[in-house]
Amino acid sequence: MSKINQTYVEVRSFTERIILASIIFFVLGIVIFAQVFSLQVLNFDNYESAALNNKTETLAIQPLRGIIYDRNNNILVNNIPSFDLIIVPSRIKNLDELLEHISSFINLEDLKIEDFRLQFSEAKKFNRELTLKRNITEEEKIKFAVRGHLFEAVFVEQRYLRNSLYPELFSHALGYVGNPSEEKLTSLRTQLSSLNNIEQTYTSGLIEGKIGAENIYDTFLSGEFGTKQREVDARGRTLSEEIVSSPKMGSDLYTSLDLASHQAAFSAMQGRRGAIVAVDIQTGSIVTLFSSPTFSSNKLSNGISQDEFKTLIESPDKPFFDRAMRGRYPPASAIKPAIAIYGLDNRLIDWKFSIEDPGFFVLPEDGRIYRDWKEGGHGKTNLFKAITQSSNTYFFELAYRSDIKSLKNYFKDFGLGKKACLDCFNEDSVFVPEPEWKIKEHNFGWFKGDTVNLGVGQGYLIATPVQLAKYAYILANKGAHKDLSLTFDSTKDLKELELRNLSQDDWSKIHESMVNVIEGNTGTARRLKNLKTFTVAAKTGTAELVSLESKEDYEETRLDSNLRDHAVIIAFGPMPNPRYAVSVVVENGESGGSVAGPIAIDVLEALIK
Amino acid sequence: MRFLDYKIFRIYYDPYLFFSIFFLSTLGLFFLYSASQGDLSIFLKQSAFVVIGLGLMMLISQPDPQVYFSYANGAFFVTIALIIIAIFFGPTINGANRWIDLGVTTIQPSEFCKIFLPVFLSAYLVQRSLPINFKSTLIPVLIIFACFMLVSLQPDLGTATLILLSGLFILFLAGLNWRFIGISFGVFILSLPFLWNNFLAPFQKQRIATLLNPESDPFGSGWNIAQSKIAIGSGGFFGKGFGEGTQANLYFLPESETDFIFAVIGEEFGLFGISILMLTYFFIFFRCIYLAITARDRFCRLVIGSLSLVFISTFVINVGMVIGILPVVGMPLPFISQGGSSIISFYIAFGIIVSMASHKKLIPR
Repeated sequence: MSKINQTYVEVRSFTERIILASIIFFVLGIVIFAQVFSLQVLNFDNYESAALNNKTETLAIQPLRGIIYDRNNNILVNNIPSFDLIIVPSRIKNLDELLEHISSFINLEDLKIEDFRLQFSEAKKFNRELTLKRNITEEEKIKFAVRGHLFEAVFVEQRYLRNSLYPELFSHALGYVGNPSEEKLTSLRTQLSSLNNIEQTYTSGLIEGKIGAENIYDTFLSGEFGTKQREVDARGRTLSEEIVSSPKMGSDLYTSLDLASHQAAFSAMQGRRGAIVAVDIQTGSIVTLFSSPTFSSNKLSNGISQDEFKTLIESPDKPFFDRAMRGRYPPASAIKPAIAIYGLDNRLIDWKFSIEDPGFFVLPEDGRIYRDWKEGGHGKTNLFKAITQSSNTYFFELAYRSDIKSLKNYFKDFGLGKKACLDCFNEDSVFVPEPEWKIKEHNFGWFKGDTVNLGVGQGYLIATPVQLAKYAYILANKGAHKDLSLTFDSTKDLKELELRNLSQDDWSKIHESMVNVIEGNTGTARRLKNLKTFTVAAKTGTAELVSLESKEDYEETRLDSNLRDHAVIIAFGPMPNPRYAVSVVVENGESGGSVAGPIAIDVLEALIK
Repeated sequence: MRFLDYKIFRIYYDPYLFFSIFFLSTLGLFFLYSASQGDLSIFLKQSAFVVIGLGLMMLISQPDPQVYFSYANGAFFVTIALIIIAIFFGPTINGANRWIDLGVTTIQPSEFCKIFLPVFLSAYLVQRSLPINFKSTLIPVLIIFACFMLVSLQPDLGTATLILLSGLFILFLAGLNWRFIGISFGVFILSLPFLWNNFLAPFQKQRIATLLNPESDPFGSGWNIAQSKIAIGSGGFFGKGFGEGTQANLYFLPESETDFIFAVIGEEFGLFGISILMLTYFFIFFRCIYLAITARDRFCRLVIGSLSLVFISTFVINVGMVIGILPVVGMPLPFISQGGSSIISFYIAFGIIVSMASHKKLIPR
């Protein structure tokens, strides 16, 4: 009886509770239905347009990059159309399967699979497209066209390859292009925030100038994006495509660079390490800007194999190093005209003043000996002879009389220790040595001997080839100068050197003495005399890399080609009214006159012709 | 119900449940085909599971409930052993150890725990007299908590929550006194901050935070919810039609074949499709409630009642998540989402329900 009673109680309790639970879940069901009703009926319009927005892709249209010309309107860099096979990694589940399938009708032998796998996972992460093969053949294009429907995430599109017509001649000056950096993408993200399929949009053929003028003038060259809207159906097929705004094509860049002089520079350098910079004196524009050895900018722009890239990177000649902008070289004797101007301007010397040159200079303070390059010396030497024959003793003496605090300002006036060029890529401004600098850098006080070394452009004095070219330009134009640039920029100010006592006559004599470096029978570059058809003023320099006490030591170091002296020359012509100034540095070239000199003449010849 | 009575054997089945589950399964295959963008391999595999599952359900309906009473302990402990094997020896997929690889397919033993735990607890409790005393309450509570912890370790918060619920349903239906329920609920509410700080992984906290403010991070963890709401909302009254859902097909909708398949249904078949779906689920649920109330004995009542509550709560949690009123946890839509273990476990559950509902005994236990 009690069992039946207990059962009755249990059944009642169970029934009550399960009905309670059912009611709770029924109410939850109503809540769900209410929410679905709210989504699908009350807010249908909002969600419908949101879904429509999702399937409407707004894509950027890549503007065509501007063409780069030389000063005679020769095309240096243009774009060539290329049909590229492009994949969308985020929609690809199995890369190997895809590649196998595609390689059955498109030749993928050149694909570096390991590199590609890395690029693939990177692109997948950021939902970017990835170019599988550039410039496919007409036949491959047709083969893909008939099979295209099998590949949802692969397409062929016309893109442009950046093409330098002279890939080796302008690789440092104009640079190369590449995929945009993260910073570029971030700035574009803000600029184009209305586009929804953002990352993929950006990389649709987007390129960015990496170095050189391509980088400096990137905004100018690249133009502005246009946009197009593409509506896709539920299977991702394009239903319609509409151009919303047309792209603004990139502007063409007319540079001051001169093609012929680059060709001359390239063949004269013969792949040796060094740099050549030439300036148009009329405008202060750079006409030749060449760093050697060089590389093909086209390969860098449009794809280079890892092996080839590694070879370039690891080459001891460092072809990627822009020697014209960043190479630090002692100007050596090429600095002597500047020291001479300092001496004349401060009335430390005049043209009549002369010294007896025994072949060395003795520093009175400690008896230290500073040697001339010529054993036995140049005898009785005045300024004219000192420049022509490059007497070290004379300039040691003059530097000894100088005040470094004042001298350093003259170096700066001649363009050392600051950027020479307004629109050059990644220029090294280097520095002008002075007592404060030495304390800071070397934790050592300035010695008189340090100033003496500056007199022959050695010691702490260093300059880049572009700075040397600017210096040559200032000398050539008798102090009047503009900042250098790669274009004919007419807005640049004409600056004068602030000299106290220097006369036009002094300038003329400096020029004469520099002409005599070549034309004179004792000039250090007299061998150049017969190489040219016009008169050239020059000053050679031979930059010592190791300081040596004796001739024997010197001969020994010559055996190691990397310790040989750098050959330096600055030159301008045609005289007496120079149109171009040039600087040449040949690393370990040993002789400014006989190694750097002919190169400078070749370049001037090409420019003047 | 017994049209084969005159034969030497009887087939035990419930026509209402059979046909509504058959309808739901067929509908499920149809939806899955669309949600997987016509991927035949997914469709065929799932079809195999449906056919096997329906057969299994019929098979399981045949033995007398007494059989399940006898095997309740065995089934439960085997399931627990499999869960432990999965944790230690199973393959790690997306950082979780939930599966055992059988070669042809993988199984997820925790899905079966939500079925065999209630059966096991029912068998345990019916042997205790009413009202259930403190000891008879404490042991099940400890077992439930142990199961919950074990599955949480995998980690699989969705299934663990369901297992916890399945155990609590049993205790509730078995007559746990109201005061105890009230006190436990109070303790749970008070310990929420502690649980939040010590128990939830950062991504789980993020999901809950996202639920409260989905717009805070539209491209991060709010993405799933935002996109599934767009999918459902853009469906309107009648939907965009079979295979025309742009949200799923253009990859905006995540996990469209599994946990978020409800959104695909909403997008392609609209309020109309969802209404039919919900009516079917609630029809099955209420049919089970009726069967539970009219079941022959206490064991059957408890098992039918708790399994039907597990079934409907799986539906409610899944849909609640998809429409953005519950946090995102891994929870399949019963009979529809892709996934063998989930669908098979529900066929087994309904097999047991039908067995218990259709074997009548005149003398109450």
